[in-house]
Amino acid sequence: MSNDHKRLKVGLAAGMTAFALLLTGCAGGSTANEPTTSGSAATVPAGVDTDAVNYALPPNATPNWILPIGTAGKMATHNSSIAQALWSPMMTFDGSKGEMKLDLETGIADKMDYAADGKSVTFHMRDMNWSDGEPITTRDVEFWFNLIKANKETWGGYKEGRLPDNITDIKYTDEKTFTLSFDKVYNQDWMSSTQLTSIKPLPQHVWAKTSDDAKVGDEDRTEAGAKKIFEYLSKSSEDMASYATNPLWKVVSGPFTLSAFDNSGKVTLSKNEKYDGSDAAQVATVNLLPFTSADAEVNLLRSKGIDYGYIPTSLMDQKSQFESNNYQIDPWEGWAVTYMPYNFNNPKLGDTFKQLYVRQALQSAIDQPTISKVIWKDGANPVYGPVPQDISSPYLSDEQKNNPYPFDIEKAKTLFADHGWKPGADGVLVCEEAGTAENQCGEGVKKGTKMDLTMMVQSGSDEADKQFAAIQSSFREVGVAVTFDRAPLNTVLNRTAPCESDSADCAWEFSYFGAAGSWYFPAYPTGERIFATDASVNFGNYSNTDADKLMDDALTTNDSKTMQEYSALLAEQLPVMWLPNPVYQVSVIRDGMTGTTQDPTANFFPQRWGWNK
Amino acid sequence: MSTAILSRQAAPKSPAARAVREFFSNKLAVIGVFIVVALVVFSFIGPLIYQTEQVSTNLMQADLKPGEDGHPLGTDGLGYDVLGRLMIAGRTSILVGLAAGVLATTLGTLWGSVAGYLGGWVDATMMRIVDAGIAIPGIFLLLVISAIVRPSEWMMVLIIGAVSWLVPARLTRAEALSLKSRDYVLAIKATGGSNSRAILRHIIPNTIGTVVVNATFQVADAILLIAYVSFLGMGLQPPATDWGAMLTDGISSVYSGAWWLIFPAGIAIVLIVSAFNFIGDGLRDMFDVRGQS
Repeated sequence: MSNDHKRLKVGLAAGMTAFALLLTGCAGGSTANEPTTSGSAATVPAGVDTDAVNYALPPNATPNWILPIGTAGKMATHNSSIAQALWSPMMTFDGSKGEMKLDLETGIADKMDYAADGKSVTFHMRDMNWSDGEPITTRDVEFWFNLIKANKETWGGYKEGRLPDNITDIKYTDEKTFTLSFDKVYNQDWMSSTQLTSIKPLPQHVWAKTSDDAKVGDEDRTEAGAKKIFEYLSKSSEDMASYATNPLWKVVSGPFTLSAFDNSGKVTLSKNEKYDGSDAAQVATVNLLPFTSADAEVNLLRSKGIDYGYIPTSLMDQKSQFESNNYQIDPWEGWAVTYMPYNFNNPKLGDTFKQLYVRQALQSAIDQPTISKVIWKDGANPVYGPVPQDISSPYLSDEQKNNPYPFDIEKAKTLFADHGWKPGADGVLVCEEAGTAENQCGEGVKKGTKMDLTMMVQSGSDEADKQFAAIQSSFREVGVAVTFDRAPLNTVLNRTAPCESDSADCAWEFSYFGAAGSWYFPAYPTGERIFATDASVNFGNYSNTDADKLMDDALTTNDSKTMQEYSALLAEQLPVMWLPNPVYQVSVIRDGMTGTTQDPTANFFPQRWGWNK
Repeated sequence: MSTAILSRQAAPKSPAARAVREFFSNKLAVIGVFIVVALVVFSFIGPLIYQTEQVSTNLMQADLKPGEDGHPLGTDGLGYDVLGRLMIAGRTSILVGLAAGVLATTLGTLWGSVAGYLGGWVDATMMRIVDAGIAIPGIFLLLVISAIVRPSEWMMVLIIGAVSWLVPARLTRAEALSLKSRDYVLAIKATGGSNSRAILRHIIPNTIGTVVVNATFQVADAILLIAYVSFLGMGLQPPATDWGAMLTDGISSVYSGAWWLIFPAGIAIVLIVSAFNFIGDGLRDMFDVRGQS
């Protein structure tokens, strides 16, 4: 090796350290500053433009679709939030006002009435106009339905048997009233939150054409015509360069119009002065800023270039630095649960995982409250069951809320000892008493089976790495050895799939993909996609007929007790290993900014942002 | 009589003794030896004197500042005592670095000697393999292999050895090309001596200067490679650690002023890598003197 080469390496090592030391040294000084103020009631810092809000989009989340009918790959929440700011939905069901509920104040519907038999719902629309002065009518609702029905396979929100398949009849009573009939009785919260919130009146008098030069007509009333119109609108939506200039996108019903959209993905929304609904914009301009990485965003935040941004959870302990720059930290809790599936079909340990006492012992060896507080620095909350529990809701059972398996190493040890497991020479538990009696290891668990687990874990998260080091440590105390197989998130997800025990891809035992939350629910948090027998995202092949029945019932009855029973059952049965649920993002919001209540379903509402002038 | 003449008269006559004197006259090399010995003692003897829990985490003791609760260098985010962890990490870094350096040097020396001595199509084939290997960035190979196999200490030795032997192979081959035309090697051939005898008894022993000097750089490189891989999150399984992994764990604390999570591990890496390079420089000077004798 040449001396130059050698010195370069020494220099690199020294440089790497010197850089870190320099940063540390600088930071050491700044931590001495005390926070000045916090809370939305605080005064707006001097020099801040109170006619505008600069909002940071998530890293690599560049808006790429404007048509308010999302197609596959274009369903990201930033796309739908922007579309919703331009075209108001019929109604919303979210947590944007502090509680997960139906919101009839901010959409186009003034009232919605379910029939007494639960098989239909009637909407009464407000007297609202498009930005070009034309009234919003049921013809605009019909236009949306026609497009959806003819193009349901392309619509990203479509699932077989769901909207529009479950609507058997639509009756347009007059220009402001229409009734939808269902194929059967559904739970009204589920129907409202996951199905009817999709309905979005679209400007038929501008969009019902098949090319730029074509005349607007009623072509959408035939399936072929609706397909052509959708094709034209989709093609227009692919041309991002023309978003701010295309006349199609100029006619809006929402609180904003689109005034700029540059190639980097920066979006500028301007207040719609013609908006006559009840959710008008509070500021003249909102800039939605794209970032290629969280670091880039944090750097701009440190230089005070953002009004509403975010920091990684790892920076939570630097809260005071941001507060001293006139920001407040506000974790954005997600409507989600985080967990690690057991592979019940794993040929080596599947039968072991099927034993409830094994799952209870492992769950008892995880100190979720301490991990959430110390490792996630309060940027995560414990999860004890299948219903999101960071936000209060009528679906959460007391059993889940009260944690059926609190951290207790001794209890975990006892559970194993009582079922025929003894520590081997290396301290790792081995099944010594095979069999199905109460004091034996359980059905299918062979003598000599070792509690030596391999966890496939997503890489790239410092908090996740530390969390699993802590879990490994407490499991070791119980006598359970853990080895980690770290891989990028996409690799982990690719390797995690429901499998048969004799297939080659069934070797995984546990899989963690929850550094940003494992599963985000729609407003009605049923788990039929993740816990129902044979469901596509039931990665570990969990199967419980009681749970299946409760999940089915939860979709068709209006009694929230069914959801609570489901919550209690799966909190007790542990279909997965519950783990702390990280917040959606740790928001950093400029002092004096108002209207920043954060919707757990991850949508944002720029019309509500303003300043405490 | 001048001072120069006097000192020349006082100089030892044995080439080995002159070489040793040359080595110790290089102050940086002596400092290098001192640093390596100090870090070896710190990492291998230290844990026997300063005993800390480095297997089980203790979240109740996480993120303590230096001096708090009897932790001279504080604790990290999992409650490990940083001073104790520095010792344990040093053991891994030094051990894996040395082993990987020795493995790479041994493999490279054998490969280069055989290629250089045999020449012809054997040399061409073997050195094209080396050229191909050198064309692929070592760190890339290391990361790919680390992603495929689960890294343990000995697996790291094998992986680093497997990507680091190419440079010593080239150096040794160049030496072997020159040595094979020397009279004593030709004599072996003429008297029917086998190729293996010529390589093992005459070629390799006469490349020892180049090999030893290069070996010190290989050790330094191996320690850096472990640090790189661990810094990128592909290192050893917890609770094992090394200085690179400690630096990774601490890097997220740069803005919170937690210097004790960065300074010690960073300085240790700089010290050990610099020390081995200083020793390498000293050894090169030493062998140059032997070459002059």
